[in-house]
Amino acid sequence: MMRSHPTQWLLSVFVTVLLCCGVSHAQSDGARQQIQRQQTQPGNNAPVWREVRGGDNPYQTTQVRGPESAVLIQSGGETWRQTRRVFTYYGGWVLTIVPLLIALFYWRKGAIRLKGKPTGRSVQRFSSWQRMVHWTVAITFCLLALSGLIMLFGKYIMMPVFGRTLFSWIAVLCKNLHNFVGPVFAFALMLMILTFIRDNLPKAHDIKWLAKLGGMLSGEHVPSGRFNAGEKVWFWIGVLLLGVVVSITGFILDFPNFAQVRATMQLASVVHAVAAMAFIALFLGHVYMGTIGTEGAYRAMRTGAVDETWAKEHHEYWFDEVSRAQPAPARGAQGDFGAAAIKQG
Amino acid sequence: MARMKFLCDAERCIECNGCVTACKQEHEVPWGVNRRRVVTLNDGVAGAEKSLSVACMHCSDAPCMSVCPVDCFYTTTEGVVLHDKDQCIGCGYCFYACPFGAPQFPQDGAFGMRGKMDKCTFCAGGPEADNSPEEFRKYGRNRLAEGKLPACAEMCATKALLGGDADEVANIFRDRVMNRDGKGASVFGWATAYGKQDKAAPAAQSAPKPGAKP
Ligand code: SF4
Ligand code: SF4
Repeated sequence: MMRSHPTQWLLSVFVTVLLCCGVSHAQSDGARQQIQRQQTQPGNNAPVWREVRGGDNPYQTTQVRGPESAVLIQSGGETWRQTRRVFTYYGGWVLTIVPLLIALFYWRKGAIRLKGKPTGRSVQRFSSWQRMVHWTVAITFCLLALSGLIMLFGKYIMMPVFGRTLFSWIAVLCKNLHNFVGPVFAFALMLMILTFIRDNLPKAHDIKWLAKLGGMLSGEHVPSGRFNAGEKVWFWIGVLLLGVVVSITGFILDFPNFAQVRATMQLASVVHAVAAMAFIALFLGHVYMGTIGTEGAYRAMRTGAVDETWAKEHHEYWFDEVSRAQPAPARGAQGDFGAAAIKQG
Repeated sequence: MARMKFLCDAERCIECNGCVTACKQEHEVPWGVNRRRVVTLNDGVAGAEKSLSVACMHCSDAPCMSVCPVDCFYTTTEGVVLHDKDQCIGCGYCFYACPFGAPQFPQDGAFGMRGKMDKCTFCAGGPEADNSPEEFRKYGRNRLAEGKLPACAEMCATKALLGGDADEVANIFRDRVMNRDGKGASVFGWATAYGKQDKAAPAAQSAPKPGAKP
């Protein structure tokens, strides 16, 4: 026997569902039961009471205009409240433990220092456009993270200290900051993803890097491309996945005037908060590695230039590529710019 | 102290929206904000249509209070849930959490941004001095302080909507149920609880035969 094509099957399911909806909506089950119940037990409204949690029934109406105004009782709110309690608790712990772990790592292992002597010749690592998008994302991220954390945890941590009135002023500020900076972040994030995606495409040597954790624990030298596998993980999981997730859910919450229903906003709020806290935890790692954790890394993003020794020790394949394309003497002008910047920095 | 309660009698509500109008009028509630609304279930289905008036139900363990990031809700000694608009940041969380869709938001500024939350106060005003102009501007009239009950319930023509001391409300409703059509006990009595059919269905009058399937 011939099997029907999957799309045909899907279509028929779709049509059946549509028909069923049409039929059941013509007179809801609740209404039918209520009519029957009135015959057997006049005055017993149990079927109607069961319907008060519904609302998509077209025979449930109200004169008040607005999304879901015909819904009497929504049960999702309680689920949302309980879920919030859970992620506030565990999220709070994660965001306490991660900085402690980083501090512990710094204390035991210290920063990754340059092993060789700086050559004084520099290589351009980030163009001014790249640094501009990076810092736009970075600054907006910090504002959003801080204001978001205050709105989530401030009630427990800051309010007892500052009192209700002062805390509420801070919270109003945070809410408005969050709502207006959010779209700027989302936009800059898209630009940053486009800017950096090419050099973050996974390569075969990334697996070796990951297996050895980049030599972070052993101190061994593991070569990598322009970005090492750790940075790529941050790019794909942090910047791209979590970034896009917080942006989309953020827009759903930021613009409540598109008639989205409460269930949508509740879900968006949970996903937003959980993803944002994971994002912040990864971000702390990124900030550590990019500042005190690695000698010379911060300078790269600040001035755009790194020393040749740094390039060789941290991103050997990339350095090989750059020096093949543009041997040292040809990089003169760029090198001067870099060297000058390094002196300043 | 009295514990305040609302109760809407589905057998009496005729969906006249008098309570909605009374509320709007009493508190000069702005456009787009509805502290009370009437919802009709099975609208137009003969024999199954019921209407209910709903507003903030002044929950004992109020979800809005628990999720508010600035903790601006408080419960009065009469069990009325009120909030402080000066503290409210307009995040909308109370609206996500509330089972009844009671919290309302005036659109304020760009992108449909939420203003300060507004909801039913059980005609009990807010944290400002009772019946001060400030209190009226933010929360509406404080009828409880004047010794009156909520305007919606007082205005209700059929007295479907009851508002006031929980014991009083319960007594009135119990009386109604017991006397309704002379079948009060049959509604919430033995027959309903244990599934035996009552006088209302004469066909099933005879006692079930032993061993017969229910
Ligand atoms: S606003 Fe909603 S959750 Fe809060 S007390 Fe009123 S009914 Fe309960
Ligand atoms: S909108 Fe206002 S009252 Fe409601 S949860 Fe947010 S801050 Fe609290």
